[in-house]
Amino acid sequence: MTATDPPSAAEPVLAHLHRAPAARERGAHDVLVVGGGHAGIEAVLAAARLGARAALITFRADKIGEMSCNPAIGGQGKGQLVRELDALGGAMACATDATGIQFRMLNTAKGLAVQAPRAQCDRHLYRDEVTRVVRATSGVEVIEGAVEGFLVSTAVDPDGPRVRGVRLADGRELTASAVVLTTGTFLSAVMHTGESRAAGGRMGESTSHGLSRDLHALGLPVGRLKTGTPPRFAADSIDWGKLKPQPGDAPPLPFSFATERARFPVQRQVDCFLTYTNPAAHALIRANIHRAPMYAGRIQGVGPRYCPSVEDKVMRFAERERHQIFLEPEGLTTDVIYANGISTSLPGEIQERFVHAIEGLERVRFLRHGYAVEYDFVQPSALDRTLAARAVRGLYLAGQINGTSGYEEAGAQGLIAGANAALWALGREPFVLARHEAYIGVLVDDLVVSQPREPYRMFSSRAEYRLLLRQDDADRRLSARGAAVGLVGAAQLERAHARQREVEALTRVLETLRAPRQPGHALAAYLRRPEVRLSELVAATPELAALAPDPSVVTTVEADVKYAGYVERQRASVERLARDEATAIPPELDLAGISGLRGEAREKLAALKPATLGAAGRIAGVNPPDLALLAVHVERHRRQRAQRGGG
Amino acid sequence: MPGVTTTIAAIATPAGSGRRGILRLSGPRAAEFVRATLRDAQPPFDAAASRGLFAGRFDDGRGLQPVRVLWMRGPRSFTREDVAEFHLPGAEPLLQAALRRLLALGAVPARAGEFTRRAFASGRLDLSQAEGVLALTEAANEAERAAAALLLEGGLDARAAELRERLLALCTLCEASLDFDEGETGHVPRAELAALWGAAQQVLEEALAWETRRAAPSALARVLLVGAPNVGKSTLWNALTGGRALVSAQAGTTRDWLEGRWELGGGWTCLLIDGPGWTPEARGADAKAQELFARAQRHAELVLWVVDSTQAEAGAPPIGASLLVRTKSELTPVPCTRVELPSLAVSAHARHGLGELAMAVRTRLAPAGDLARETGLARVLFERHQLALQRARTALAEAGECLAAGYSLDLVAEGVRESLAALDDLSGRTTPEDVLERIFARFCLGK
Repeated sequence: MTATDPPSAAEPVLAHLHRAPAARERGAHDVLVVGGGHAGIEAVLAAARLGARAALITFRADKIGEMSCNPAIGGQGKGQLVRELDALGGAMACATDATGIQFRMLNTAKGLAVQAPRAQCDRHLYRDEVTRVVRATSGVEVIEGAVEGFLVSTAVDPDGPRVRGVRLADGRELTASAVVLTTGTFLSAVMHTGESRAAGGRMGESTSHGLSRDLHALGLPVGRLKTGTPPRFAADSIDWGKLKPQPGDAPPLPFSFATERARFPVQRQVDCFLTYTNPAAHALIRANIHRAPMYAGRIQGVGPRYCPSVEDKVMRFAERERHQIFLEPEGLTTDVIYANGISTSLPGEIQERFVHAIEGLERVRFLRHGYAVEYDFVQPSALDRTLAARAVRGLYLAGQINGTSGYEEAGAQGLIAGANAALWALGREPFVLARHEAYIGVLVDDLVVSQPREPYRMFSSRAEYRLLLRQDDADRRLSARGAAVGLVGAAQLERAHARQREVEALTRVLETLRAPRQPGHALAAYLRRPEVRLSELVAATPELAALAPDPSVVTTVEADVKYAGYVERQRASVERLARDEATAIPPELDLAGISGLRGEAREKLAALKPATLGAAGRIAGVNPPDLALLAVHVERHRRQRAQRGGG
Repeated sequence: MPGVTTTIAAIATPAGSGRRGILRLSGPRAAEFVRATLRDAQPPFDAAASRGLFAGRFDDGRGLQPVRVLWMRGPRSFTREDVAEFHLPGAEPLLQAALRRLLALGAVPARAGEFTRRAFASGRLDLSQAEGVLALTEAANEAERAAAALLLEGGLDARAAELRERLLALCTLCEASLDFDEGETGHVPRAELAALWGAAQQVLEEALAWETRRAAPSALARVLLVGAPNVGKSTLWNALTGGRALVSAQAGTTRDWLEGRWELGGGWTCLLIDGPGWTPEARGADAKAQELFARAQRHAELVLWVVDSTQAEAGAPPIGASLLVRTKSELTPVPCTRVELPSLAVSAHARHGLGELAMAVRTRLAPAGDLARETGLARVLFERHQLALQRARTALAEAGECLAAGYSLDLVAEGVRESLAALDDLSGRTTPEDVLERIFARFCLGK
C-alpha cells in the first residue's frame, strides 16, 4: 500500500467510553438490526463479518433491499461512497454490478478526482440479489416481524438507560447486546397526494408509532423532514419515438473492485430517455399550486433543495421554460418507468393533466402517482462517531432515520453502525474513519454535528480533502483498514494488493521511459500535462502496452501522476490538523459554562457537543478565537482530571 | 497537548515603549530560524543544555541590525520548547521587519496568550497557575476580538467581505459544475469562470495594495475627545498633538476623524482622537452620528467629554465619558451647575491646564493597561491579515494558471477553495453549506 497510513488510529470515540456489556448482559444475539433497507443490510452484514451473532428484523423477509425511490445507485459524491463500501467488504457495489442495466461514469471531463460511477438497476433483480446475499451469509438470521418498541434495562445506571433488545408487535421479545435501528422513513410517516393523506412510509406499507414513542421516552431528540417521489408510468403507453435516448457507457465499468471484467456486464444494458416539461405544463402546475400540500401548508417538514418537486422548480425558477425528465426503466422485465425529475405531491388528476401536456407522454398511463412523505428523524447530533446514541447504551442508528437521503448514504452509515455495534458488543475497539480517509468519514463527521433542515446528501464539495478521496483507489485507501478490523477478508485484501502491484509496475515504467521529443523528461512528467491521457500513451507505447494494464489501473496511475503535488499538500494539511482531530472534548465538560465564548459559538457547542476540537472547528459559527479558548479549557480539564486521578 | 508542530513568533514588548524591542520565538524550528537570521554568532544549538545570551547581527533580508539573542533550549524554557528571544533596537519598523522575516521562514504568528498556553500545556505551570493562565487567555481573547474589530474598521473588513463574495461566486460555479450534471447546471464555459476569476483577483490585489499602503496599526492607547461642534475640541486636539494628524480622512476608509500622538510626559504617549461631533440631542435622532460615536467610543480606552465653559447647559454626559474637560477657561466661565464627572478647566490658547489634563489622563490609563496593546496584539493581527491575503493570492493565482492551461476543473476548484479558506480569519469561515446554499439559489437542480 502507498503512504495512506492515517494518523487517526488514536481518535477518541464516545461510545467506547461506555462500558462494554458484561457477559451476563449479553442477549440472545450480539447485534439486532431493525429494518431491511440499505442501511440495515450493510449493518447486519458488517456485524456478521466481524463474527457477531447478528439478526435482521424486517416487515417482509422478501423485501430486503427494496429501492423505494428510483433504482439508481451512485452519482456525484455518492458513487465514491459505494466504492468505499465495497472496499470495506460491503454488498452494495456487487449487487449493483449483478443487476445493473445501465452504467455511466460521471464527471469524466471534470477531473479524475471527482469522477463518480452511477448505475441504473433492475429493481426486482436488485432486491432478489440482496435478499439472496443476506440469507446466504453465515451468522445472519432473518426475522420477520414489526418492531413496536425497545426492551430497556430497568437497572439504574450512571451511564444512562441501556437498550437490551426489541419488542415485536406480536408480543415476541428479542434480546441483544446492541440494537441498530435503520427504520428509514417509517417513523410516524404521512404520505401526501394533493389533499389526501395516508399513514405510511412507502406506498402500500405500514408505519411505526411505537418506536417513535420509545425514542422520545429515551430522550432522543426527534425532528421532521419531508421527501417526495415522482409518478411511475406504464412503458407501453409512452411514445418512445419522440424521445431522445440516453445510452450508458460502452463498455461499462463495474462498481465493485471484485467484479470480473470478463463477466461484466451481467445484465442486458438499456437506454434511458429524455424529455422536457414545457410552458403549458408549467401553467397547469401554477394554476393548481394551492393544491400542493407544501404550498397549502399541510406539510411542515422541509424538502430537499437538491431534489426539488416539480412544483418548486416551476415556482422558484419561473424564468425556466423547461425542465428535464429522465424516463428510467425500473427493470428489464417490468413495465414500470420512473419519471425522474418531476417529483410531485399535486392531486392525481392534476399530475395526469400536466404530464399529458409533455412530449412523448401525451397518452401516458399512470401506474402510481407521485407523493410526498413526511417522517420523523432522530437528530444525528445525539450520536457519536460510531453512530451510537450518546445517552443510551447499546443503541445505534443508521440511514434515513438520521436525517440523510439516499441508498448510498444509508449503506455507508449501516456499515459504520453495524460494525461498531458488533465491536462494542464483543468488547473491541471502535472503527471510525477520518475525513481525509473516506467520504464515509466526511458523512459521519458532518452528521454528528449537524442539525439537518433537509435530508443530508453527500456532495463532493463537502470533502475538504477531495483530491485524496478518489473513487478509483478506494481499495487502496481502505482495504487494509478494513482487514485490520476484520471487515475485509484475506482474498479481498490480496486483490487490493495485486491491483496496487500493477499500479506500481506501470508507474515504474512511466518513470523510466523518456517523453516523446523531450529526451530530458520522463514519460511520467509528460503525463502531467493536462492534455495528455495515459490510455493514449499506453496505446502508443509498446513498453506500456506490454503490461496490458486494466482500465482501473490506468485510471489510478494517471490520477497518481497528475495529482501528485496536490496530494502531498493535502496530506500536509491533514497532519497540521491532526492535533485538533485527536483532541477529545470530554463529554462532561460544560461547554455552555465557558466564559469568553461568543454567544453563537457557545450555543452551538452546547447543542451539538462535538467530540473533538476538529469537529468543533467545523461547526458554522465557531471561529478560530472560540476554538483557541475551547482548547485551553479542554487541556485544563484533562490536567485536572489527571491530577485527581493520579493523586 | 500532543504533537505541537508549529513554531510561533510575536513581538513581546509594547510598541514605542523603550529602546529595546523583544521578538520571541518558540517551537521545534526555533534553532533553524535563529541559524537563518543570526550573523556573526551562533549559539551551540546541539549542546544538551545550551542556554545563554549571544550578540550578533540580525539579518531581516534587507539589512543587518545589532541583536542579542537569548537562547533557551527546551525543556529548560518557559514553554519547554526551544525558545529564542531577539533583543533588537526598539524601533517599530525594524521589529516589524524582523517579525516578517521570521514569518516568511515559516514561523506562525502567535495567537493571543499562546506562549502562556504552551507553557501551561507542557506542564511548566502547575494547577494553581493554570487558573491565572485561563483568566489571561480569556482576557486576551476578548482583547484580540477588540483589536481585530479595530483593525478591520480601517476598511479591510469591507474589502475582505467583497473579496469573499467574489471568491464565493467563482467557487459556487466550480462546485456546482463538479457536483451536478450539465443537464442541470447548463454548460459552464471556461470563459465565464475566467471572468469571475479576474474579478476576484482584482479585488484581492486592491485589498493587498490597501493593506500594504497602510502602516502597521498603532499600539498606543486611544483617547477620544467628544463634544458638540464649536466647543473647542479641534483647537484642543491641535494644542495637545501639535496638529500633526496620523490618519486623515482618506477616501475609502470609514475613519472620518483625526488621530494624533499626544505626549503625556514621563515617557507616556497616547493616541488622541478628535471624535465625531456629538450632542445629547443627536442621540437617537441621528443614527449615523450615533453609530460613529458608538464605534469610536468602543475602541477608546478613555473618553473625554469636552464642553465650552462659557456656555451654560451641557446636558448629560456621553456614555463612557470619565472626565469632563471645560475649554476656553481664559474667557469668563459660566459657573458649572452639574458636576457629574471629575472636571478640569483648560485653555488651549493660553496653554493653561494642559499639563494637568495630561496627568489626569495618565492616571486613568495606567491601571487599565489594555492587554491588546501591551502585548502588541494589534500588530500580530496585522501580520496575520497580511499573511492571509498573501496565501489567498498564491492559491488564487494557482487556480488561474490551471484555468488558463486547461487543467481539469477539480484542480481549478482546489485553488479557489484554498483561497477562500485563507480568508477565514479575515471574513469569517466559509463552510460547504455556504457554497451549497448559493448553488441551490442559482441553479434549478435535481432530476
